[in-house]
Amino acid sequence: MESSELERFEAVVLPHLDAAYTLARYLTRDADDAQDIVQEASLRAFRYFAGFRGSEPGEGRAWLLAIVRNTARTWHDRNRHHAEATEFDEKLHSAGIADDHPEASVVRKSESEALREAIDRLPLEFREVIVLRELEGLSYKEISEVAGVPVGTVMSRLSRARRRLEEALCLTMEDG
Amino acid sequence: MTHPTFVAQLDAYLDGELAAPDAGELEAHLRVCAECARVEQGRRRLSASLRAQLPRYQAPDILRARVRALVRGEASSMARRRSVPWRVLSVAASLMVVAVGSWQLALTRAGGDALADQVLASHVRSLMPGHLADVPSSDQHTVKPWFNGKLDFSPPVYDFAGRGFPLLGGRLDYVGGEPVAALVYGRRQHMINVFLWPAGRGPSTARAGEFTRQGYHVLHWTTPEYKYWVASDLGLPELRDFVRLVQQGDSAASAAPPAR
Repeated sequence: MESSELERFEAVVLPHLDAAYTLARYLTRDADDAQDIVQEASLRAFRYFAGFRGSEPGEGRAWLLAIVRNTARTWHDRNRHHAEATEFDEKLHSAGIADDHPEASVVRKSESEALREAIDRLPLEFREVIVLRELEGLSYKEISEVAGVPVGTVMSRLSRARRRLEEALCLTMEDG
Repeated sequence: MTHPTFVAQLDAYLDGELAAPDAGELEAHLRVCAECARVEQGRRRLSASLRAQLPRYQAPDILRARVRALVRGEASSMARRRSVPWRVLSVAASLMVVAVGSWQLALTRAGGDALADQVLASHVRSLMPGHLADVPSSDQHTVKPWFNGKLDFSPPVYDFAGRGFPLLGGRLDYVGGEPVAALVYGRRQHMINVFLWPAGRGPSTARAGEFTRQGYHVLHWTTPEYKYWVASDLGLPELRDFVRLVQQGDSAASAAPPAR
């Protein structure tokens, strides 16, 4: 690889490391795992970089996010048992709190905490479209490329994800 | 169009993804359908909250440094795999140098180059997750004693946090098959590795100098007590500033009566 190729990579792809890390944080829900994912994804991106022809800043971002997303997917499959156990624990845990302290919800969680929690509880395929759309501002077409699904699927997943979030957030408010 | 169709299209409409004629029809429907209008308001509120309140994370400096190091290391090894003819040429060139009788020069340069490569390899390896420091600490009085019993010398450890080069930790490393002390300092998102061992032994000597490989700089010098190698992707002027700080620290230490 010529050093000009390295420079092109550093100029086109590396500026999007924050976006990559944000996506990885939401997909893994863990700061250390997110770092591992971004590292692995960056190295993969560099190896495939010769095949990347885009020059617009947005293209570099969507391209890197697609690799982060796939790397996170692989990671997720590998840790599936562990991840499912964690989700199960969380449910048990929160149910326990509600039973033991009926007035706990009086100490209202801040809205952003409630949002964050609702996002973390979304299934992965809903969580990723929400982050890509609402935080990264990607178009449906870009999301369809990153997530590897048709545009129609992006649309219906976003719609269902938002409905779930609204339900989850209404519930927390009505509880109080 | 019917009401369920409009509901299904509402998200695409709000995301600006609905074609103009459909969007026009939907807007007309929103004016007459209270239920759709209520859903629309809810969605707008949700999106606004998500955008305003969900954190966007900044990639930590250490992650940036590792990614840069990994990518540069990869670029370097790709280049090496492709440049075999180059190496043949450079071997031929050294043979010619030998032929004109500059034995010593050729050997010293080859030794320096090989050591610089090893130092660089150790530097890049240290940037892999979990490899940076065996004793991660910004406290020189924690890092220095950590080497007791691991090495038969006690490396000078400084903290230049006040000068913008904070100490990050230390670890045991190997250069040329010999155990050496490695000290890690930071500069913004860059990592600096300092390798040192006693002047009288360890991997054979090379002259003081600077080497550059794929965006990394490797600097070498010796003191009466130690052989020093420093590796980083930091810019050369700043790296030279850092080296001067270490050298000043060493000469201040040797001028003062032995501590402890």
